[in-house]
Amino acid sequence: MRLTFNGSPREHDPAPDDTAAEVIRTAFGATGTKVSCGAGVCGACTILVDGEPKVSCLLPAAHLDGASVTTVEGVGGDHPVQRAFVECDALQCGFCTPGFVTEAVAFHDRWRKERDEPPSREEVAGALTGHLCRCGAYENILTAVQKACAGAFDDREPVPARVEAPDKVTGAARYTVDVVLDGMLHGAIVRSAQPHARVSFELPEPSVLLLDGGVVRYTGQPIAAVAAETPAAARALADSVRIAYEPLPSVVDPEEARRPDAPVVFEGDQRRNAPSSAEGSGFPGRWKGNVRSGYPSAWRGRTARRRLDAAEERKAPGYFAATFTTAGQSHTALEPHVTVADWRADGLTIHTSTQGLPHIKAAAAKRWSPPRVEVIAHHVGGGFGSKLSLGADAVAAVELSRKTGRPVKVEMSRAEELTDTGYRPGTRSELRMLGTPTGGLAAIALDVSGHGGVSTGSMVATLGLMMYGRGPRHFRDRDVIGNAPPASPFRGPGGPPFAWAVEQGVDEIAHRLGADPLKLRRTWDGNVRRRALYEIAGELPLWRDRPAPGQTGRYRRGVGAAAANWIYTADLDTKVELTVRDGRIVARTATQDIGTGVRTVIRNAVREVFPDAEIVVELGSADAPHGPVAGGSRSTASVGPAARDAATKLAGHLGGKPVGEAEGVSVLGQRPKDRGGSAVPVSMDHLRIGRGLAGAVHVTEVEVDTLLGRTRVVRVWGGIAVGTVFSRQTARNQCEGGIIQGIGYALYEERVTDPRTGVVLSANLEDYRLPGIADTPEMTIHFHEDGWDHVPGGGVGLGEVCTISVAASVANAVFNATGFRPLDLPIRPDRLLEGMAR
Amino acid sequence: MTAEYRAGGTDLMERRASGRSTGPLIDLYDRDLRSIDRTPDGGFRAGAMVTVDTLATDPALTTAYPALALTAGALATPQIRRAATLGGVLLQRTRCRYYRSEHYECLKTGGTGCPARGNPGERAVVLDVGPCVAPHPSSVALALLAYDADAEIEDQQPRKVADLYGDGARDHLLGDGELLTAIVLPPPAEGEKAGYKRAIGRASAEWPLAEAVARLTVGDGVVVRAGVAVGGVAAVPLRLPDVERALVGQPPSQELFARAARLGWTPAFPETAYKIPLTETLIADVLAQAL
Repeated sequence: MRLTFNGSPREHDPAPDDTAAEVIRTAFGATGTKVSCGAGVCGACTILVDGEPKVSCLLPAAHLDGASVTTVEGVGGDHPVQRAFVECDALQCGFCTPGFVTEAVAFHDRWRKERDEPPSREEVAGALTGHLCRCGAYENILTAVQKACAGAFDDREPVPARVEAPDKVTGAARYTVDVVLDGMLHGAIVRSAQPHARVSFELPEPSVLLLDGGVVRYTGQPIAAVAAETPAAARALADSVRIAYEPLPSVVDPEEARRPDAPVVFEGDQRRNAPSSAEGSGFPGRWKGNVRSGYPSAWRGRTARRRLDAAEERKAPGYFAATFTTAGQSHTALEPHVTVADWRADGLTIHTSTQGLPHIKAAAAKRWSPPRVEVIAHHVGGGFGSKLSLGADAVAAVELSRKTGRPVKVEMSRAEELTDTGYRPGTRSELRMLGTPTGGLAAIALDVSGHGGVSTGSMVATLGLMMYGRGPRHFRDRDVIGNAPPASPFRGPGGPPFAWAVEQGVDEIAHRLGADPLKLRRTWDGNVRRRALYEIAGELPLWRDRPAPGQTGRYRRGVGAAAANWIYTADLDTKVELTVRDGRIVARTATQDIGTGVRTVIRNAVREVFPDAEIVVELGSADAPHGPVAGGSRSTASVGPAARDAATKLAGHLGGKPVGEAEGVSVLGQRPKDRGGSAVPVSMDHLRIGRGLAGAVHVTEVEVDTLLGRTRVVRVWGGIAVGTVFSRQTARNQCEGGIIQGIGYALYEERVTDPRTGVVLSANLEDYRLPGIADTPEMTIHFHEDGWDHVPGGGVGLGEVCTISVAASVANAVFNATGFRPLDLPIRPDRLLEGMAR
Repeated sequence: MTAEYRAGGTDLMERRASGRSTGPLIDLYDRDLRSIDRTPDGGFRAGAMVTVDTLATDPALTTAYPALALTAGALATPQIRRAATLGGVLLQRTRCRYYRSEHYECLKTGGTGCPARGNPGERAVVLDVGPCVAPHPSSVALALLAYDADAEIEDQQPRKVADLYGDGARDHLLGDGELLTAIVLPPPAEGEKAGYKRAIGRASAEWPLAEAVARLTVGDGVVVRAGVAVGGVAAVPLRLPDVERALVGQPPSQELFARAARLGWTPAFPETAYKIPLTETLIADVLAQAL
């Protein structure tokens, strides 16, 4: 076929099944076009065919014959839409950005040819509705496209809101999926097709074994990996492996797995090998069948239970008991788990999509002991907790490379990604609470079963030790093990399901006592930062004008509030190196930017000392001085003060000389210690728990169509108490993204596993529904910046606390609107309709 | 192995990737099936390769067949609508999650049983008309049923669009090698108005839990002509002649629409009982929209 590709003539002879995306990325080497869902849902692969945006992952390459094709690279870099994306911060991880930009460029150009006035939010959302952004940067995308259409960027360069934005809007930013090395092979993983079986097989060469022992315990479990010259050949080789299964009794559904007569997933010593979804070591527990029970975390636990029993007996007005459930939530980073490993005699280089460069480096060094390990992740297309450790992609790539002597790339398909790269465990929570209008939370008991498949480590109830004062309380966490894929840490592990139960409990008790839910929280909650947020939220017109209960009519509006807190952590070993190179200040540390804006935090900290210097931030290499893992909301409070320390040292070194006269000077900044020490005086794996809890309050307005069962989130106010904000624009963006993910959790996202076969049925982006751009509410983010003076820089991380209470606030708003208390998450239309009919 | 036709590829390419389609392909890309012509009786003939986007935006078609335009404009996403074709959306395969998963065999992949029947879920059918419990995926088919359109098949007599579909055992009744070439719409009805709506969780870009389309002509204060079809409820696209009959000859009102929309169905599965009032609401909504 012949076509015009980004303005130049091209010839190519595609195979019948080749997609346009494959040809563009592989044969033409234009990797700006990303493939994420592979099913035409997410729009990351959008290209212009004769000026019309189309998804290239489903477009047969042969259909490009005679066409003029433009990709993000062909848009140039100065298009008003690109400029607007750069200045308005219309992106986070940037993996979806080329698709959004390409579509928005076509929309913009057509719009301005036909219309004079700028488009409305709804018109922009309608045009971009075929694009998904898992980070949830929709608000800024809408704004950017509107501004571009209004001509705001016709004749001026943008001021980048984040350091790497220009690379992300042009397709220049290279992610691990874009890495191609000379002589590179492709790997594919052989997975179990049964939920529990003894397996035997013969492997073709080249291959490596991934299964430890001869028993598979979930459908989709990696057994081995094979390599071949192309991804398709590797897949075919993997599919050709004949596995003999000797089936063992299996149980997938947690409600069946908890029964005493259920088939047992792990027996005796095998239990120690169960993977953990906890960050760190998880809690100790006692096993009985498939149920692993933690020890109670209690404060006057017996008093709590006695009070609750008595309150139940006398039907106390402030007593509430209910069983809440949450579905598993899949991280769904748009860049899949992917690793390119290059094992050579002098060392191992690992390009991997990770949020834990230092973890990966340490783990690889320990596991394979190569002479040297380098880990590289220049840009990472989202993580949300799923990319903290050495996954099957990395193990397979490294071992296949060692075996073949060639670089090997292993990339998860979307189905693999949604099946076996972890998820937030589902839960069943038994909540009992007794509240009083003025005297505080009299007692609370929460018993939570986590449903993380074969993994242990769900920790939800125990988080209650941090909330609502010091009243009597009794918490217990359990894992119900089943033959399903293992869970993993997910943005604020345990937080959202905890809030789903407890924050609805508080709301319900307020309702029963006739109290204002925010005032009641202020009475119960001793945390000064959150108390400040309750007061501000309570004065919002959004809250003050909330509807009274008992509405009638088809469309009902409701307003709900929920609160969250989260521990403050930092990596006190963080170092930032500043070097003067070519007259510029180059900052380096061994961390990665998964879309949170870490580069920008570092740039801003250095800029405070050197407002006029050109500052370059080089991240994504584990060879740099030690930097933090992007987990536990620790990055900002680690690198910000370390960068500031380095800048101060550099300024001292310069002694007033201009930067240009200090060529080659290099200083190392260190993360200063907190004033007054930490909550825990030692670091575990570089993680230090500091003093104080970050806080958040969300006030959410919904509109419910009570006949079609649809809940639309209209407005959200997010109050975030994390002290000084290091990079305001990227922080606001992340908080808005936290709201979007919380809305997804509350309303749409649901991991579905077939109860008989253990196959994950929600393994594509049609069945696993992420929030879309048209679901974006009006959002206001309020930063409460007091209270963190003991922390260098005066502020802490917000990546987790900003999402935890969102789903519960949606549920409370639905209750306010309809009188239906949504116990089961997500609040699907069928559940809402059936619940309201009861 | 018999060859499969490829139109826009939006359904087929996904099935190629998942292994649901493995035979040789015959590309229709170069075939002359993209024209939209007037027919001698004043109707329209649209080639099978006309895109869904064109159905939604072509000035002549949208004026003549507003119900078709509204339906086409509401499905999938803008990028899919630009690539997907009229023929393709009528003959697309089921969205059943078991059919789409490589882990299962089912009645539609040459297997012997329906793995979805034991775990139908909230998206399954309400009316158990066939062995398959997944709803038929084609929205455009609903609009064409409401217009009583004809389908032209290469080397065959034209047949009614309704006759493309059977009892739910298959997604469509065309045999190997049979090619849908065009859809022929009867002359437009003067003064017709239309409505289309789908029940979804998100704002857009989602397969419907249920959907309804209506075309309505009102003259001298009464409904002169009505066409109503619903999707998401059965393994075939469903026109509702009883609802239409209840409307014709009556003065239009919300009360009439609500009364006419009553379905009297018995749900096949408890999980989908909610879809009956949902569908009734949709019918009343689209009739009100069409007034």
